[in-house]
Amino acid sequence: MNRRFLVLLMLFALSALAFAPIQAQGNTLNVAWPYQVPPTGHFNTFASGGIALGQYQDLHEPPLAVLMWATGDYAGMVAEEFGWDDDGNYVIKMVEGNSWSDGSAMTADDLMATFNIFRLRGDTVWANMSGIEKVDDSTVKFVMDSPSSLAERIILTTNLRPASVFGDIADRAAMMDAGGDGWDALLQELTEFRPESPVSGGPYTILPDTISEANLMMELNPGGFAGDIQHYDMVRMWNGETEVVTPLVANQELHYITHGIPPTTEEDFANRGIDIVRSGMNNGPGLYVNHAVYPLNLVEVRQAIAYAVDRIQNGVVSLGESGVAVEYMTGMSDGLSEAWLSDETLDSLNTYEHDLMKAEELLTSVGFSRNDDGIWVDDNGDTLSFELTFPQEFADWSAAAENATAQLNDFGFDISARGVQFQQHPQDIYASNFEMAIRNWGLGDPIPGRSYLQAYNRYNGQGDLAGEGGGAGMNFDNNVDYSGGMVNVFDLSNQSSQGVDKSAQAELVTQLAISYNELLPAIPLWERYTNNALNRNFIMVPDSGDSIFANFGGGADNWMTTLILTGVTAPADM
Amino acid sequence: MSSKVQAAPHPLLSLLRLPFTVLFAVFGFINRLRANRAGFIGFLGLLAYFILTFIMPYFIPFDSEVNLDEIAGPVGSRIQLAVHRDNNHLRSFEDLAGKTVGVVDQTGGPSLIAPYADSINIEKYRWTSRRAGPGVRAALIDLANKEIDAMLIFSKNVAELRADSEDPELQALLAEHIVISNPELGPPHLLGTDTQGRDIATHIVHGGRILILTAVIGGVISTLIALVVGSLSAMIGGAFDAAMTALSNLILAVPRLILLVVLAGLIRFENTLFLGLMIGLLGWPPLMRAIRAQVLSLRERDFVEAARSLGLSTYHIMFREMLPNMISYVMINFIFAITFAMYEQIALLVLGLAPIDDYTWGVMLYFGRSRGTLYNVDGASMALSPVLAIAFFQVCLVLFARALEEVFDPRLRAAV
Amino acid sequence: MALPNSDLEINRSGVQSPVAAVQQFIAAYPIHKNYYVRIFVQAILTIWAVLTVTFFLVRQMPGNPIDVLIEQILTQEGISYQEAYDRVAASFNFDPDATMLDQYVDYVGDLLRLDLGTSITSPGTRIIDEIARFLPWTIFAVGSGFLISFVLGIILGMMMAYYRDSALDHTLSLVSSFFTGVPNYIWGLLIIIGPGISWNWFDVGAARGTYDPGLTPGLNAAFIGSAIEHALLPIITYVLATLGSWMLSMKSSTTGVLNDDYVNVAEARGLKDRRIITAYVGRNAMLPLFAQLSISIGFVLGSGVVIEEIFVYWGFGHYLFQAITVRDYTSVQGAVLILSSTFVFSNLFADLTYGLLDPRVRISGEK
Repeated sequence: MNRRFLVLLMLFALSALAFAPIQAQGNTLNVAWPYQVPPTGHFNTFASGGIALGQYQDLHEPPLAVLMWATGDYAGMVAEEFGWDDDGNYVIKMVEGNSWSDGSAMTADDLMATFNIFRLRGDTVWANMSGIEKVDDSTVKFVMDSPSSLAERIILTTNLRPASVFGDIADRAAMMDAGGDGWDALLQELTEFRPESPVSGGPYTILPDTISEANLMMELNPGGFAGDIQHYDMVRMWNGETEVVTPLVANQELHYITHGIPPTTEEDFANRGIDIVRSGMNNGPGLYVNHAVYPLNLVEVRQAIAYAVDRIQNGVVSLGESGVAVEYMTGMSDGLSEAWLSDETLDSLNTYEHDLMKAEELLTSVGFSRNDDGIWVDDNGDTLSFELTFPQEFADWSAAAENATAQLNDFGFDISARGVQFQQHPQDIYASNFEMAIRNWGLGDPIPGRSYLQAYNRYNGQGDLAGEGGGAGMNFDNNVDYSGGMVNVFDLSNQSSQGVDKSAQAELVTQLAISYNELLPAIPLWERYTNNALNRNFIMVPDSGDSIFANFGGGADNWMTTLILTGVTAPADM
Repeated sequence: MSSKVQAAPHPLLSLLRLPFTVLFAVFGFINRLRANRAGFIGFLGLLAYFILTFIMPYFIPFDSEVNLDEIAGPVGSRIQLAVHRDNNHLRSFEDLAGKTVGVVDQTGGPSLIAPYADSINIEKYRWTSRRAGPGVRAALIDLANKEIDAMLIFSKNVAELRADSEDPELQALLAEHIVISNPELGPPHLLGTDTQGRDIATHIVHGGRILILTAVIGGVISTLIALVVGSLSAMIGGAFDAAMTALSNLILAVPRLILLVVLAGLIRFENTLFLGLMIGLLGWPPLMRAIRAQVLSLRERDFVEAARSLGLSTYHIMFREMLPNMISYVMINFIFAITFAMYEQIALLVLGLAPIDDYTWGVMLYFGRSRGTLYNVDGASMALSPVLAIAFFQVCLVLFARALEEVFDPRLRAAV
Repeated sequence: MALPNSDLEINRSGVQSPVAAVQQFIAAYPIHKNYYVRIFVQAILTIWAVLTVTFFLVRQMPGNPIDVLIEQILTQEGISYQEAYDRVAASFNFDPDATMLDQYVDYVGDLLRLDLGTSITSPGTRIIDEIARFLPWTIFAVGSGFLISFVLGIILGMMMAYYRDSALDHTLSLVSSFFTGVPNYIWGLLIIIGPGISWNWFDVGAARGTYDPGLTPGLNAAFIGSAIEHALLPIITYVLATLGSWMLSMKSSTTGVLNDDYVNVAEARGLKDRRIITAYVGRNAMLPLFAQLSISIGFVLGSGVVIEEIFVYWGFGHYLFQAITVRDYTSVQGAVLILSSTFVFSNLFADLTYGLLDPRVRISGEK
């Protein structure tokens, strides 16, 4: 009996080898983004749980325009012509001749429907907008109080949705006063609305029958935007987070991922001949301090910390070549600093290069000294003992925390690092329940003033928005006194994204940069660069030197979907 | 036999005799162990673990120095001496006297060469960020151009430079001019290096003590609770049994993740004892149910009935009559409880309930996995070493338990 | 408060009140003294307690569904906290300001009407549909792995005990204690990295999911074959990680029984070996394992999550884990209802069947 069982077992094991390999159906592009399967996942991309597919939403719900980061100009996609009119309103004229996968034509009605639903949902874009008007079948006017770079960006990065699906709810929303009778009911109707099948206006359509937890297929939509210039018949979207997609990349089944991968995995990919594409993301982890905790509120102490931590080492051990030490320490990325600050300003900035002597001098200058164990003691006689918390599950941030702690302790601090569950951690910061913490600085947004929202707003009192956390955050006083005088940095950062006069904006940004550089409300450690794994044996895109790679992969304006929408991405064997 | 005749020994004398008595008992035990070879091997294994994790930390320092060129280095790697092909005769630090040797900071080189700073000219290269180009490469180019005579370099970089095909010109230059004259200069990394370029072997030595202590505490507590609650439930029955069954169901059915995340927001453990206590308090229900079932059966057996009719106490019945019948089962589950507690600590650590300051095997495994080392042959040691350490610890325990079984259940010895 | 009044009214109208009827019924048939009824009521109470504890605990977890989605959007897109909040806050049917007690009363009310409600993070999706989507796969894959592991473990464990100190015993002890010492996620990853990527024994991508796309679920050979194929890797991993503990437990339990007097008596009576093994030793040695088995059935549902995630074989474990991660309170409650019912009733079942394995066993209430 046992022998029979063993034979059976071996048969089972052998049959495992017999998986039908996934059939090549013409040319297929293999990419990945996590999604939920039905019934949790669905085709209403306005509601949570919708299968929008992140950056690949562009493939089925095309964007109005894409910002070319290298030049700072928008390239029109569905929007053919766009700009401010003389009255300060924004006008968009759409490309004509495209159709949705359900056969309806792509017109201004789709744009109207999209923005009317944004209004129902309460999206930020409506904060500066008093209405939208359909000018003709392909033109829409956004009625504005005043022009601003921010409003333009939010409008242009919009993904277009079909009026044939959402038009009914959108029209009813347009007739209603916000918050009036039936508003909440309509909102609920929107969130519970489940289109039967996905309707695409881009080059590819999701095939609902193919959706499994492993992957889903998208088929060419010839009538959709850019549908006529595609080199692929199909797109296979693999599902999953980093640990799940990693084996597929190693196995050459998946050819491009935007997932952040650990350096050791990256090295394995490189050994297999897989290219790693890096572009600056304009954000990264920083060392935040609670300004209500003495002596962390002393600028000298924060500057000493900046000198004492070797940011190059910290970046390399955390994210390898994609952990690039921040050089200018302006609170925004080095790329934004170079783009927006004059050369004189850049030269005048303190780069806080790793220098333990300077750190020592700074602490001594405020009356601190070392005790017999070499630990720093402040002027009240207390040792510089702090707890540094970090979100445990974020592999790169936890490495940064571990390393920063070790470096500071070598210098004579007494810091204990503690990992916190990643959903607890931001709540702790919002509630001021921390001494030192690793959180993110900067924002993946080309408008420089917005980089300061993390330190001056989100982690400084805004955290009670969602009903939890509530507190003063890092307790930093946004009214600062620096070499340029007294300013409110939060107001400055808001003003700098208003209007469309770049030189006026740059003036405000300079004030923001210099004050941040002097005061270091939080200490940026390194900028996160993408490490997209790209298998060039299967996918043909321009060489790494191309300016398109300034558009980092993963978010809005990413290079991959831009290249697909412009018909550049192609199978490598063509 | 003759104790009645003997006069009571002087108290001091008996105190003096105590160590001998203990020693004698230990030797007797070991002697008995030798009869059971598997048990003896298990005993030796546990002894080795004790030496490795409790004694060796006093002799082997914890490697905390970050070495940027050794990140996730392969097993057995070490620092090598690279020289220009014309200088192939240079092999030791003595040979290098008066020469210029390049080292890159934040690598293992500087500390290795520091003692010879008087006799050797040291040329330091800065480890720089990506934008400026890494220091190792700059040093190698200088070496190829004979700007320096030799260079200390990690073996993995050598492998990389030989395999690097991105810059064929550079590769040709390096291949033509540079040779490794001494591949065994620096300290060997027996188990490779971790994601910060630190020696994994020293972390294994230092990372066991707390993990094992906590796990044993947790295992003892959960086994004891299971034993007591399980037997009492079966013996007393009624409301007590119902309450304990319900409690065990409650502990099992409320998702552990939810409970722990909520706890993590409220409390934190700095103390190993509390951590073990918590693991024990959460871990007892499965064994308790098993023991309950067994006692339900045992209490109806003849020998228990007999003991009961003799008026022996419940305590006596439980521990003298029933326990020997279950000891083997309880012991193997105690061992599983210890291993379970080791991995449970990792779960607690992930949720921030346990401190990461103690760089235990659990921390190594967690970081090793989350930093993707398993996908890299060179770096997998960081995650796999602690797993192997824990697995072999369990093997030793299981083997050793064989010997203990025979001590507690004499019937087995006759069978051998 | 309304009840006594209506009660009185009914009495006045001459019809017997339902309360009195129940009292009369109980007096006539003392079901509360019936052992089976009592333990059934206890079971229901335990489930209710688990659900209540979970209800309040899950809302004590840091962050609410909105927070979690904001964080998710923030890490994926370069937008500000405010924008992310504006976008997601309205798209939930979740009111962070509703008092917990109100929610609890609503929840219990719905539950009594057998309504599990709708998901928070996928508004409008019925939880019962989600459970129907995920639960069967876990029962199939992890359940088979569990059964294979248990049966193999019992057989091998008994063999080890019988041939104590033989080469077989030593080899199996070593191997099984080593295998259980390695956690299941490491086994899963090693299977993918070794046979999957390095040796190419199977296609990592094609092995994912629960069946090949394009097949119609139902009783057709293609679908069943595909379902078995896709379940293989999770099953192998599960067996690798748990077989050893069943083996060693069974071996220990058998060792305790083997030298009992009745076994010797049976041998002396000249009973055939096989009969002694099955009727005497096996049944008695199984007893504690059977108790653990009932608990493991509950674990099967919840603890398969790591395997389900690694092999992208989404089942109940994934569903529960995902619901907890995104703080979908109602989904968590739905999943825990399934989980606790499984625990409680499988234990109940075990309690009731001990007597079959070992006729001497009597649970106190049965006397």
